[in-house]
Order: sequence, then C-alpha cells, then structure tokens
Amino acid sequence: MKKLLQSLFVLLFFASTAIAQDRTITGTVTSSDDKLPIPGVSVRVTGTQIGTVTDANGKYSIKIPSGSNTLNFSFIGYIATTKVVGNSNSVNVVLASDSKVLSDVVVTANSISREKRSLGYSAPTLNNTELTSGGSPSAISSLAGKVAGVNVTSTSNTPGSSARVVLRGGSSISGSNQALIVVDGIPIDNSSVIGGSSVLSSVDFGNRGNDLAADDIESVTVLKGPAAAALYGSRASNGALIITTKKGSKEKATITFSSSNTFSNVAKLPDFQNEYGQGYYDVVAPDGKSATFVTDLKENGSWGAPFTGVVQGWGQQIDGVRLTKPYSAIPNNVRDFFDTGFATDNSLSVSGGGKSTTFYLGINALSSDGVFPTNKDKYNKYGVRFNGTADLTDKLTAGISFNYNRIDANQVGGGQGAASVFNNVLQTPRDIDLPALRDLNNKYYGYGYTDAAGIPHPNSYGYYGTYTQNPYWILENFANYNDVSRVTGNFNINYKPLKWLDIQERVGIDTYSDRRRTISPKYSFVDIDQTAEYAGSNTRTNVGAYQIDQYNVTELVHDFMVTGKHKFNEDFEGSLMVGNNIRQRGTNTLSSATNTSGGLVVPGWYNLSNSNGPVNIVADNLSKRRLIGLYADLNLSYKNLLFLEATARNDWSSTLPKNNNSFFYPSVSGSFVFTELLKDSPVSNILNYGKLRSSWAQVGNDTDPYQLLSTYGKTTINGNFGSTVFPFGNVAALTPGSTLGNVNLKPEITTAFEIGADLGLLNNRITIDASYYKSNSKNQILAIPIPNSTGYGFSVVNAGEVQNNGIELSLRGTVLKSSDFEWGLYGSFTKNKNKVVSLMPGVDQFVVGGFSGMSIVAAVGRPYGEFYGVTTLKDDQGRTVVDQATGMPLSTSKAEYLGNYNPKYQASWGTNVRYKQLSLNVLFDAKQGGKFYSRTRSILAFVGASAETGGNRFGEIWPNSVYQDASGAFVPNTSVGYVKQDYYGGSLPAGFSMVDGSFVKLRSASLSYTFNKAQLQRLPFSSIAVGIYGNNLFMWTASENQFADPEINSAGAGNTQGFDFTAQPSVRNYGINLKVTF
Amino acid sequence: MKTKIQKSKYTLLLILVIGILSISGCKKFLDINANPNNPDTAEPSLLLPTVEAAIGQIVGNSFQVYGGMWSQYWTQSPNSAQYKTIDQYNLANTAFDRPWLTLYRNALINCNLIINSKGQSLEYMKGMAYILKAYSYQLTTDAFGDVPLSQALNPSLYGSPKYDSQALVYDSIFNYIDKGIALLKVSSTSPGAQDIIFQGDIPSWQAFANTLKLRAYLRIVKADPAKAEAGIKALYATNPTFLAKDAAIKYSSIGGNENPLYNEMLALGKVQNLVASSTAVNAFMRNSDKRLPKFYDLVDGQTTLNSIVQGSFAASGVAKVVSIPSTLTGGNAANSSSATAPVKLISASESAFLQAEAVARNYASGTVSNLLTTGVRASFVATGLTANDADAYFAAAPDGQAALNAATTSEALVKVIITQKYYAMCGTQGFEAWSEYRRTGYPDFLITSVASTIGAGRTPLRLLYSNAESTSNLNFLGNVLIYVPVWWDK
Repeated sequence: MKKLLQSLFVLLFFASTAIAQDRTITGTVTSSDDKLPIPGVSVRVTGTQIGTVTDANGKYSIKIPSGSNTLNFSFIGYIATTKVVGNSNSVNVVLASDSKVLSDVVVTANSISREKRSLGYSAPTLNNTELTSGGSPSAISSLAGKVAGVNVTSTSNTPGSSARVVLRGGSSISGSNQALIVVDGIPIDNSSVIGGSSVLSSVDFGNRGNDLAADDIESVTVLKGPAAAALYGSRASNGALIITTKKGSKEKATITFSSSNTFSNVAKLPDFQNEYGQGYYDVVAPDGKSATFVTDLKENGSWGAPFTGVVQGWGQQIDGVRLTKPYSAIPNNVRDFFDTGFATDNSLSVSGGGKSTTFYLGINALSSDGVFPTNKDKYNKYGVRFNGTADLTDKLTAGISFNYNRIDANQVGGGQGAASVFNNVLQTPRDIDLPALRDLNNKYYGYGYTDAAGIPHPNSYGYYGTYTQNPYWILENFANYNDVSRVTGNFNINYKPLKWLDIQERVGIDTYSDRRRTISPKYSFVDIDQTAEYAGSNTRTNVGAYQIDQYNVTELVHDFMVTGKHKFNEDFEGSLMVGNNIRQRGTNTLSSATNTSGGLVVPGWYNLSNSNGPVNIVADNLSKRRLIGLYADLNLSYKNLLFLEATARNDWSSTLPKNNNSFFYPSVSGSFVFTELLKDSPVSNILNYGKLRSSWAQVGNDTDPYQLLSTYGKTTINGNFGSTVFPFGNVAALTPGSTLGNVNLKPEITTAFEIGADLGLLNNRITIDASYYKSNSKNQILAIPIPNSTGYGFSVVNAGEVQNNGIELSLRGTVLKSSDFEWGLYGSFTKNKNKVVSLMPGVDQFVVGGFSGMSIVAAVGRPYGEFYGVTTLKDDQGRTVVDQATGMPLSTSKAEYLGNYNPKYQASWGTNVRYKQLSLNVLFDAKQGGKFYSRTRSILAFVGASAETGGNRFGEIWPNSVYQDASGAFVPNTSVGYVKQDYYGGSLPAGFSMVDGSFVKLRSASLSYTFNKAQLQRLPFSSIAVGIYGNNLFMWTASENQFADPEINSAGAGNTQGFDFTAQPSVRNYGINLKVTF
Repeated sequence: MKTKIQKSKYTLLLILVIGILSISGCKKFLDINANPNNPDTAEPSLLLPTVEAAIGQIVGNSFQVYGGMWSQYWTQSPNSAQYKTIDQYNLANTAFDRPWLTLYRNALINCNLIINSKGQSLEYMKGMAYILKAYSYQLTTDAFGDVPLSQALNPSLYGSPKYDSQALVYDSIFNYIDKGIALLKVSSTSPGAQDIIFQGDIPSWQAFANTLKLRAYLRIVKADPAKAEAGIKALYATNPTFLAKDAAIKYSSIGGNENPLYNEMLALGKVQNLVASSTAVNAFMRNSDKRLPKFYDLVDGQTTLNSIVQGSFAASGVAKVVSIPSTLTGGNAANSSSATAPVKLISASESAFLQAEAVARNYASGTVSNLLTTGVRASFVATGLTANDADAYFAAAPDGQAALNAATTSEALVKVIITQKYYAMCGTQGFEAWSEYRRTGYPDFLITSVASTIGAGRTPLRLLYSNAESTSNLNFLGNVLIYVPVWWDK
C-alpha cells in the first residue's frame, strides 16, 4: 500500500504525458435476431477507459492506441462480444441477444462498472424501459415486484406521495431502513418528513428520493446486501439503489420526446352498511332486541332507525324551509365524492456530442390534479438535467452533472384533524348524498349565506352537520402548500497517466430547500336553523393558523480514488483501488407558526405578522455532521473462472464520542463461474452458464449529531390539545429535553453473509438467480423509550441485535422465441425472516413508533415491527370474553402482540409478450402475512357506517363468546346480547382495528407499439412508440380487510409502517404514453 | 492544450494536498458535535416555573375535567362529543398518557433537578421544590393509586421504576413536606417572580406546606387513622400557619398563557363540551345559593339557568340549550374572559374546611362552626359576593346552619364540612372535590351517570394507568379497572 502511494506521488510530480500513436477503427454493429443495426452499443478498447457508443445507424468510430488490439462490444439485452482488430480499420460485429435481458455490465458502488460475472453478490439491474413502461408515479415505486428482495411500499400511489424501499428487511431498530439512493456516484438525500402537527393529522409531502425523473434514468442497479455497498460506508448498510442517468453519445444528436397522460381513480374504499341512517337509539326495549330512535339532523353517526324510504326533512331549516329526501341509503356517497385524477408527464431530451464531448439535456414537467374534487390537490414537478463529459486529452477526462428540481404542490390533509378531508367524508351518514353538497353557494351546504331579505350572514352556516364540516369546504379553505427547490450535481475528473493507473476525483452536492406553508382559516360560524332540531350550541370556531416549515439540507461528498490494474500473466489479473471519502451534511429547520391559541388576527391573511399573540417557534434547529473515510478495494480474477474482491474501510465520524469515533470494516466476496470448466462437456448444452458466489461483509454506522449530552429547551406544557407556553408573562422557563444523552456511544456494526448462484439453462432460455443471506446488526444506537416515570422519554444507548435471514429467487424463462414472436415469463420470491435477537439487559422491547394506543415495537424474539396494543380479551380457547352484564367484549388488561407490518413473504410474477413491434407486459405482485392498523376501521365503527356495524344491532350475542362467572370460570355466552352502538360507538381497544394486510395486486400492465424504421422512413423520426399502461389496477385483499389498501400509510416512508390513520386512499392509474425519437 | 493539462495537474495536486491536510486536521474537522440548538445546563430558577405550570395544567385542565364531571358539577353537552367517554365511565388507557407524562416529565423531574442542583443560596427554591414534589405525588397517587416513587426519576439506575404502594407514597409525601418546611427556614435567595404561585413569598409557602400536610393526613384518615391522627396532632404542635388566601396560578389572555381549561377549548375549536349538571345545580338551588350564577353562565338566548341530568347527553327529550360553566371557572368556551380564570392548587376556603375537619375529628382544638363559616365566606368572596351574603346563605340553607345544628357526631360534622367544601370547589377544584367524595362519600346526592357503560352499581374510583407505561415499563403492575378503589378509599 505504501509503495503504491509512493509511486503515485512520483507519478504526479514527474510523469510526463506519453503521446500515443492512435488509429481509427470504424464499423457497424447489428443484431443477430433481425439483422438491424443496434444504436447505443458500448464499444470499448479492451483494458482502457477509451470507449464510445454506436449511433442510431449502429455505426461507431473509435481511436485505439497502438498496442491495443481488441474491442469490447456490449449492450443491454445482448451477449457482450470481444473482437480482435486485425490490420483492417473496419470491424463489423453481430451481437446475439441475451434472453436474460439484464445487462452484463453492472454499475456498482462508487459508480464502478463491473462485469456481472465477477460479482460475489446479487446485483440485479433494471433499465429505463422496465422502469417507465408501467407508468408508475415515481421511479422508486416502479421497482415494486420487479426484483427479488426489494420491498417497495407506495403509500397512495399518486405523484408526490411517499414510496419506501427496504432491501432484505429492516435491520436498524430506530434508524432509517431504506436503501441509500446514489445517483451517478453521489448519494442523494431521501428524507421523509411528514407534515402536520403529528401523524394524527398527517400530510404526506412525499420523500425526497421521489424527486428524480424516471425519464432521465438509464438504469438502476439494486445492491441488496452490505457487501455490495461496503464502499459507501455507513449509510449503505441497508443496501443501495445505484442510479445511472442518461449520457449523450459522441458525434450523434438525438432528440427524444415522451409524454405520459395518466388518469386515476380511488382504488379501494371501505365496505359500508346500507341499512341504517342518521341518528342514534333512544331507548332499548326491555328485552334488549329492539329500540326506538332519535333522528338527529346534525349527527355524523349512522346509528339511526332502519331505512324506510319515507320522504322526510333533513339538514337545517333555512328561511323557513327544510330540504327533504327519502330516508334511504346512498350506497356510493363516499366513492362518488372522489373525482378522476389526471396527470400529464412530459419530457424532452436532447443528447449528443462532439468528437471528444458528450452531453445530455433533459427537461421534464409533471402536472397532476389528484382524485380529490376541485383542483386543490395538485402536484407539479419540473426538472432539468444536464450531463456532460469531455475528453480534455486522451488521458484526462472530465464530467459534470447537474440536476434542478422544483416542486409546487398542495397536499390534502389526512388523519383526524379539522383539515382532514377524508375523515369528514367517512363521517357522513349513509343516507346523505355527499356529492350533492359540492355546491358551496347553496345555502344548505355552505358557509355564509344571504337571507331572503338580501341581508348577508357571513358567519352562519347551512351545512347539515355540527360535528363535521363539508369536505368540499375544507378542500377550498385549508391548504398544505409545498415548494421544493433542489439542486444535485457532481463534477468529476479522471486522469489516466499510465495504462494501468487511473486517478479520479469526484465532488458532489445535493442541496435543497423544502418550504411548506400550512393554512387553516379563521372562522366562527353559527348554524342558521333556530328550530328545536338545531337547538343548543352548534358553533364551529377555529382561531385560524398559518405555519411555515422551512427545511434546508445540504450534503457535500468528495471522493478521491486511485486505481491500479495489473495483469500478472495471461490468466491472472488484479486491480487495487484506494480512496478517500469526505462527506458533510448540514440541515437547518425553522418552523414557525401563528400563536397556537390566539390564531390569526385578520381572517384570510396568511402571514406570521398576522399572529394574534407571540409567534410560536415550533422548531429552530441547526445540525451538521461530518465523516471522513479511507477505503481500499482489491479485485483479483483468474481466467474467467474465479473472482475475488476484498474491501476495507475506516471511517471517522463527528457524531460519535471523540475516543470512539473511528471504526473499521472489511468485506470479502468471490465468485466461481464453474461452467467455464464445462465448456466442452455436453453439460454446457443444458447448463450454459453457472456461477456460484458468496460474500461476507461488515458495515459500521455512526449516529445522528448531538446524541451525547442531555439538553434543556424552552418549556411548553402540553394538554391533550392545548398547551401552556412560556414565556409566561415575563417569566421564562426551561425543562429537560425528552432524551437522555450518552457520552459512551460506540458505532453500530452490521455483519452480513450471502451465498448464491446464477444459472443460465438452454442457452439462457431459462435463467435462475438464487440467494440466501443472513445479516446481524449489533450495538445499535437507539433512543429507547423509557417509562415517563423515569422523568425522561428516551435514552440513547448502544443496544440491540437484529437478525435478518432470507432467500431470494428470481426466475426468467423464454417460452417461445422467433424473430416475430417472443413470450417470456418471470417471477420472484422473497422470504425474509427477521428477528430481534436482543436489546439490552433488562429491556425486552422498544417502541419504534405508533400512536392512539397502538405501538410498533421491536421485541426480543419477535420480528422487527410488531404491533403492540390492548385488544379484545380472549380466553385460552380463543373465545371472546364479554361482560356478563352488557354482553360487550372486554379488553385485555395489558398490551399484547398483534402481528407484524412486514409481510411473511412476497412474490411477483409477470410476463412479456412481443409480437413484431407490439409488446405486452403484465406484472402481479403479492405480499402475504402482514398486518396493519386501520383508523378508517375504528372511525367507521364509531359512526356506525361500516359494513361490520350493520345487521341486527340489538341483542346480538357476540360470536363465540364467553363470560366469566363469579367463580372465575368462563361460561359460554348464549344469552347476553349487546347493543352494537354501545360497543362500536364506545371506546374500542386499539387492537380492534388490526387488519390482515395481505394482498395480491395487478401491479402494472402495459401494451406498447413501436414503429420501425421502415414505417417511418418518410418522417423525421427515428422511432415512435405509443402505449397504454396502468398500475395498481386491481387488488385482492384478505376477506377481513373491508377497509383500505394495505399499502397506504400515514407516516410516509419512515419506520412507522402499517398505519392507516385515515390515510388518503390509494389510487389506480391508467393512461397512454407516447415516445418519439428524432 | 498544454496549459489545460498543467492546470488539471495542479488541480489534482491541490485536491490531494487538501485531502491529506484534512486527514491530518481530522480531529478539528470532526469536532463539530456541540449542540448549537439547546443549552445543556439550566438554572433552578428557570425550572421552578415549569413545575408550577405543569401542576396548573393538571389541576386546571386534565384532572379538572375528570373531577368536574365525576363530581357532577358538569356533564357532557348534548351538542358535542369530546367527553362522552368520561360520562360513560368508559375510558381508554391512552387518555392518561398525557397527564402521566406531564406529572413525571414536567413537574416531578424538574423538582428533582432543582433539589439536586449545586449552587449557593438555593434553600428556598429547594424547599419549594420539595413541597411541589409532595403536591405532585399526591395528585399522582390520588389519581392512579400505586405509582412509581422510590425508583422513579432516576433513569441511570432504574430504567423501569417499580410501583410503590399508595401507603408508601403518602409516607414520602409527608417526608417531602417536612424537608421543604425545614429548607424554607434557611434564609436564602428568593426566586421572586419566577415563582408564579406566590411570587417568592416565603410565609405563604410555609402556610401552603402546612395546609398541604393537613390535607394529606386527612386523606388517609380511613386507611390509617392512627397515622393521620398522630400526624395532624404533631402538625398542630408546631403552631402552624394555614393558608388564608388561595394558592393559585393567575393566567392571562396572552396566547398560550390562558387558563389551561379555556386554552384546551380554544384548541378544540371553542366547542362547548361541558355544561351544567343537574346534580350540582339542583343542590345549589335547594339551598338558594347565590353562588349558582357565579359558577354557571347562561348561553345565548337563555334567560334562566338550566341543567341536564348527569350523562344524559344522548337521552330522548334532553334539553339542547343548557347553561355552561362560568368564565370564573375557565369553562365558558365562547367568552374570552375565561382566559384569566385562576387555577387553585389549594383554596383559602379549602384550608378552612380542612381545619374544620381536623377539629371535628378532635385532632385539633378550635370551633367547627367558626372554621366552617370562614370557609363559606372565603368561597363567597372568591366568587365576588360578600361575607354578609355568605352568612345569610349559611343561616338559611338546609345544608348550612340547619345541618350543622343537627350534626351531633363527628361523622355528621364531617358530612356538613365536606358538603360545604363540595359547593365551594364547584368548577375550580373538581379533582379535589372528587377525591374527597371518594374518601368520605359526601356529598351524598351524587348519582350514577345515566350514560354509564360499566354496569350497575359501579362508579369511577380512580384514573387508569397510562398506556405508555404499560408498553415501556417492565415493572408495570397491570391495568386496574376504573371502579376499583385506591388504598385510602375505604
């Protein structure tokens, strides 16, 4: 190592530039299938960095230095070929297609291209077509179902909504479990900060990984294990998505325009009862089997009398008149509330280059109006990308990449707050025609009205409900604006002073401003109706609020890499790379709002200077962290048979205690292409390619800044809703922060082992990729929740070990193949077994998240992400224990484990059919065995609107129930019936709302037609493709799931998963796309 | 071309040099982990108001709502829904996460931090911290029964504090009061205005401590009569001063500084959830009590005060226009004067009634009727009426002089005292009134909420443990049903 560094210095100071004698080789690359030229084929002078790509006519031209005499040709979907250059300056090549479709060249850690066969770990790659054909709303959600071992959760499946990617199960108890996203060698931020005052009133502003435009992406390689990512250090311990963006080709200009136009509908809504309407029971008959009812016209509950169809009054009496309608169900009043959403995503790219330069310029604009009525739920994203490379000399090349994104959106509020549209929609009685209330100028539906005498009453409302508000009015008057401006980019320079030596410097930046403005109107409305039906205090008051959340994140990354290659002999080659990485991440957050209890002074003016009382500083935080890493990567290969890679890295982190801030971690992996030994044997007719691989790796991890010391903050004493805020008059106060610091923190370590095989059968008609892996994450740095009776809420400790092991299987087969027709099938299966091995002495479990009585915990001996809460009491025979007097189920006295948000297994299967230029892709995927918590269920139970609250409501005996008699014995309950309204409308235990989250989805389907050259010869296009597509099209859920799409989640892409806290319903998308290349 | 190459070489060289420099300057480069956002130390005088405001939030809002409804001053409005489950006696453990957190993490931990702080001339402040700790623990144990104390507030030693019996918690309460009283005798620096209860006035603190001690001993009078008697006799032997004015926190109309109950209503969109309960209103009416219109306000369009039966929010034919708690209690959502209602930790009238009970039980010398009258007068004056109004009321009311005259036993005297205390605490000290009802059974006219869902003959006798405790504390005892009495409730 020392020698190598020394020689490097020598080189830098004394080496002079060698002048090479070049000659130019030209030729055409064609396909063996259709004999047509192939554009975009990578042509490379063997053993050098010199390369080019073929133009639209499959032609190339390359200068090769003297001494070089072979060229490599490679292209996605074709078997790479090496050609010896003879005396001729023209070399034409025919490439055979590779039914594996996956490329043989894989972009791995630090943007290093590697031959797939040399990898000791699984690294599947997806190309642009695979990502974009299904029309998914983001590049991340388009990964769903396409690669084994990848668990993508796309919450509402709308543009801008969160999508979470976890590879091989979660390993970190409290840290992010998402894969690191790396674009052109530079890790980018993938924060997910949920908006709203808490998850209870959440606003999904998406995660930053979704900012990337799918059209700009050339390929995504999924590095699943830490082995693959050891060189990224800490943050890649959960694996990485290595994204390569498009580059231009030399001396050939291409213009591509593509347009996708997507319609969307709400995918899954709850099942409702259609037997009972507005009101509640008055008196239950003495036998408990029937009741008299109160028709309360201002109710949100559907606990009233059975439907009669009789025409009766409803809503407020205004100007002496009350509206009438039949007392019968409006079965689709919730579904019809939603509109068809529409999104148009257009992108234009121009790429090309000169003799020694390339460029790619892409611009794109996405404009979406979602499924909520009105155009208030909008999401607009604009992006510009410029990628350029220049060969400054034949030894020195430089590249620059720049991407700008702007997002301008208004997200609709969810959860249970006043601003939650869906929460108010669900609480509409079954007999009220919600979509009819769209007209807010109608005095019976709106707020503010002018009476018959022409006198305006701006502070009166005519809407029927006094517990809920007209959701159309909420959409009009509440807002959650989001404005993101983001620049990512990098600059790299590559110097190749000697044939065997390569020096690279790369500096990258990712900086963005995420500004959110939350608007809550100030109002005080009184009901207009003065009759007995609306007697009492029915005012609706809100002091109003305006909040700005400003997040700025800037991340700088520097990498300096020196790579030396050496060919020891004909069979034995090696390379060694040493590098230095410096990274700095700075964030600053400023959240300020108008006074919480004072609200706004002037209604309708949303500005902090309109605060009624002192401005509320919600958060003012600066944070900065730095990391220095030194790493080395050794690669050895023997023939094309054996490959070995070893890496080592040491990091120094600013976030750990000074005496513990250095950590070292190594990895080793190898692969054995055993079919090389069988080349001449008859076996190779069946098994044409076979590779065994194995890897072992460790990854260290640091923590967040400022975890070492306990601190104090300004006092706010919270009630359930209000709070006492200091300064109290002139009195200032401090209180300890919720978290106890720890000055003795150590780095976390994850150790992973993987073994696998890649097989190609029948000349790659069938390919199999199988892996088994096991990883253990130890010494995790956790802010463990400690009982409040300790005086603190959390304590930062090194504790815990989480183990993941699992299998991944990918299978691809070509059923039929001819020049006109090709039919392929593929599938994947993933089973991850996750277990919390230990936490810390005396601690059995750790709360990861949750709310409203339902926690998500990491409990020793159980999988990570277990639900834990009080539930319905069962006896040891599994019968429900009810109260002997009321017949209502009792609750457990302590919280219990209620299942896990992670699926037990996931699988996908798909098919590609191509007939001439027409191709069809269909992909199904399934997740089985997970659970989710559904507040949609509990709120619908509360208001008596869900299907499960229907049927006989009085005197029913709880199925399979027992009660405990005086002696404590459990007696089967055959006599004590219960009143449904009392149970469902009362305090249900949190466990009641657990639902089986299993599903099978028709994830995506697309049909496209590509016009060929012959068809386009009179037109200025080199290709046109048109298609229709759809995603999230159909789902089949567990029979007990009558409530929601199991994928929706109120907490975005964080570790709190499986929480439907009246989350926005997910959508199904379908549309048409067009791609034109000039 | 040549210059370009040269430049690039220099650039590379520069980068290399920077790289090497940064590695050697590594230590400095990485030394950026000092938190720029928050201080890591705090003066005791800045922690004291946190404790007091936390107690204000509990007594004035969270426990006030449970106490006010279960004492049947208030009931759920038929026009709203927030507190239905309270009238139904059908509560979820999660409802108690917030008060539990406020007690331990806002009040008690800061008492400990003050008590353990090092510095000169802190005796007064430490004395106050001990007294407030005693007060907070009494609130906690009266609400929840057995609670963590001996292992609480010490996370480095006890990650899962065990629960101590209520009897032991009370022993500690007396101990803390004694320590507090002793420290208040050491001349030191007063926190002044940082003390938002007494503005640093030491004699008031001494009276507060003595009154609290009397309250605490009387609370255990049924569970451990001998200890109560001995404790009260020992207290009187010190020639104690008792509170003659309210120990209260005064609130203002500044956003975030309002009376906590009113502030909660603001956050709930000014929805009026609390309305007058017939239980208390009818009792005031039976006694022609002039305080009635002080404790309750009419709503728009009302000319006479009315009320509904406890828990009848969903009953057929229930009046929808119902009188509401007055601004004096902080419970009138529509009137911003509610913002300035004080929160009373111990009121002057309560102090007199406690002394009256000590005399009635023969633990102290004095005249019951004098102390009783003092209590009633203090209550009238606090509502803006006069001592003469009080005397006229007492002379005429069936629950006044007449009842006193008829009381011949100690128990009968206690009934008169507690019933009068119940009237005096209307709307301002609901939790204390409910605790005294649990202890003594007085007043004897409370009913079972008609909305009860927990079965006949059961009423709430405690608050439920925090759900967060059950998921995070390995020594959690298990939930206790709401109708199971606490230790001192014999």
